[in-house]
Amino acid sequence: MSEPTVFIVDDDQAVARSLRWLIESVRLKVETFPSAQAFLDGYDATNSGCLVLDVRMPGMSGLDLQERLAAQRIHVPIIFITGHGDVQMAVRAIQAGAFDFVEKPFNDQDLLDRIQKAIARDADQRGKDAQRAQLRALFVSLTPREREVLDLVVEGMSNKAIANSLGLSAKTVEVHRAKVMDKMHARSISDLVKMAMQNHMA
Amino acid sequence: MHNGWSDAREMISGSDLMWLAFVVLGGTLAGTIIGLAVAMARLREAEQKLFDKESNHESVLDRLKENEYRLRTIIESEPECVKLQAEDGTVLEINPAGLRLVDANQPADIIGRKIYSIVAPEYVDIYRENMRRVFLGEAVVYEFRAITLKNRIAWMETHAAPLRDARGKIYALLGITRDMTEHKQAEEQARRHQTELARVARLSTMGEMATGIAHELNQPLSAIANFARGCIRRLRSGGLRSEELLEPLEEVCYEAERAGEILRHVRDFVRKSELQLKPVDVNQIVRAVVKFTELEARQHRTIVRLHLGNDLPKVLVDSIMIEQVICNLVRNAVEAMAEANSPQREVTIRTRMFGIDEVEIEIGDSGPGIDGSVIDQVFDQFFTTKPEGVGMGLSISRSIVESHGGRVRAESGSSGGTILRFTLKISGQQTSRHERADSLHS
Repeated sequence: MSEPTVFIVDDDQAVARSLRWLIESVRLKVETFPSAQAFLDGYDATNSGCLVLDVRMPGMSGLDLQERLAAQRIHVPIIFITGHGDVQMAVRAIQAGAFDFVEKPFNDQDLLDRIQKAIARDADQRGKDAQRAQLRALFVSLTPREREVLDLVVEGMSNKAIANSLGLSAKTVEVHRAKVMDKMHARSISDLVKMAMQNHMA
Repeated sequence: MHNGWSDAREMISGSDLMWLAFVVLGGTLAGTIIGLAVAMARLREAEQKLFDKESNHESVLDRLKENEYRLRTIIESEPECVKLQAEDGTVLEINPAGLRLVDANQPADIIGRKIYSIVAPEYVDIYRENMRRVFLGEAVVYEFRAITLKNRIAWMETHAAPLRDARGKIYALLGITRDMTEHKQAEEQARRHQTELARVARLSTMGEMATGIAHELNQPLSAIANFARGCIRRLRSGGLRSEELLEPLEEVCYEAERAGEILRHVRDFVRKSELQLKPVDVNQIVRAVVKFTELEARQHRTIVRLHLGNDLPKVLVDSIMIEQVICNLVRNAVEAMAEANSPQREVTIRTRMFGIDEVEIEIGDSGPGIDGSVIDQVFDQFFTTKPEGVGMGLSISRSIVESHGGRVRAESGSSGGTILRFTLKISGQQTSRHERADSLHS
């Protein structure tokens, strides 16, 4: 996986540069954007990391950008930076699923801690996403008959019962079952059941 | 008889009757009664003359008596206080409505006594002055606060006119007095409401401005903190070349300058937008302020005395702002004395020339005074001796005075109390409006 990046969106260039200087001091990769639109245009969702977003910006505000990202199913964790007395906005941001917020003027350690946590959350999320995608790919590789057999195995039926149910010989069921185990990289029946349930939920 | 009647007619008719008719038609009650009373007095004189001349003119006398009786009935049943006073303030006559007004049980409670016994001390001078004018021949209207025989406090308004004898000598003051207490209270209520509105408006404008400025300042301050923290972290973890710190430190300096710039803009904005300089009579401003603060002063049992200089040249100021300053200083004095529970509460406002081109305004109180060690701080921001004060009033006052090119000073009075003074430049040919405005920004 690529190195996590902290994306900073702030219309005040001096503030953006100062945040870059601060965050780079803990050896994190930083990219800055002068507006919400610039971020939407330049952001590659495959990059891991987090977004540090000024709540008040001319044009598209921080909250607007959050809404746009949600609509595009981009789930990068967002840390809002709010001005003095912007509690209302902070509450709205959190309700809309923001990871956290810091109020200006903020403590540097506080901000860096939150950034680290957000990055960890994103990595975790991306790991789970990758696993789910992989599982889905494995299921897709099964033939229709193999899926039928898998479904009945997961329901707890014996080979004989499956054979009767599908009008196949026990021997044939045995072959399909071995094939499924192999394709799904499952080491045991319980492994297979777990995978099927995960796929079902995803 | 014939002659006598026409004598009497000559005496009471003519201009008096015309005037009487005119005021009756005009409908001013006070005027009507004054007219009636004048006519009555003339009648009495006419009666006397007739009597001297021809004592057998019974029917004329009867008619005169009838007239007098009629006038007397009107005055007796008149719902407003009608009274006669001698030059020294002795009450000569008063109608039943008048007795009720001063809470007298019988005429003897007030007749023969000085009217000043029911005038509040701070209005005695005003009252005397008006009486003096009436005895010089003027008709006047004045307001005063009365403390009745039963110690009830009431606001009264008197319409007064001189009464003359046959030789034209003024021998009494005829006064029609009305109880204005309710009217005053309604007025005060309205004024208090207005003052409160203005205060709220001022606070919310200040609040908005403060929020705006806070937001603006937060930007450079955040940037400075971030740059500095980034430097500290790198220095702590070591292994960096010192020249790497150059750029962020330059940014720190730049941002600090930016913060300063924002503050300078705010100051410029406040100065430019709010000063509307015009030549004004400073005494007029003082009187206006005394009106606004009258209620507060009264609530705190404080007497406000004015010693205003005569023929002062006009000052070139934004009168609203200077009003605000005097208001702050007077309120401050009133509150300080109330706070200290001073037994004698007086605020004295004086105006006078100061040097050749300034007018000085002085607000003195009879409060506990300010400790000599802190007296120089009273105009500083956040300095306060009041438990609920924020210490902005005097500091705002100072910046307003200074923005007008004046100076403020505080000192302890020779017989206790605090004296706050400030100066304002006079408006003259030598200082045109343009030059003055420029010098304010320097």
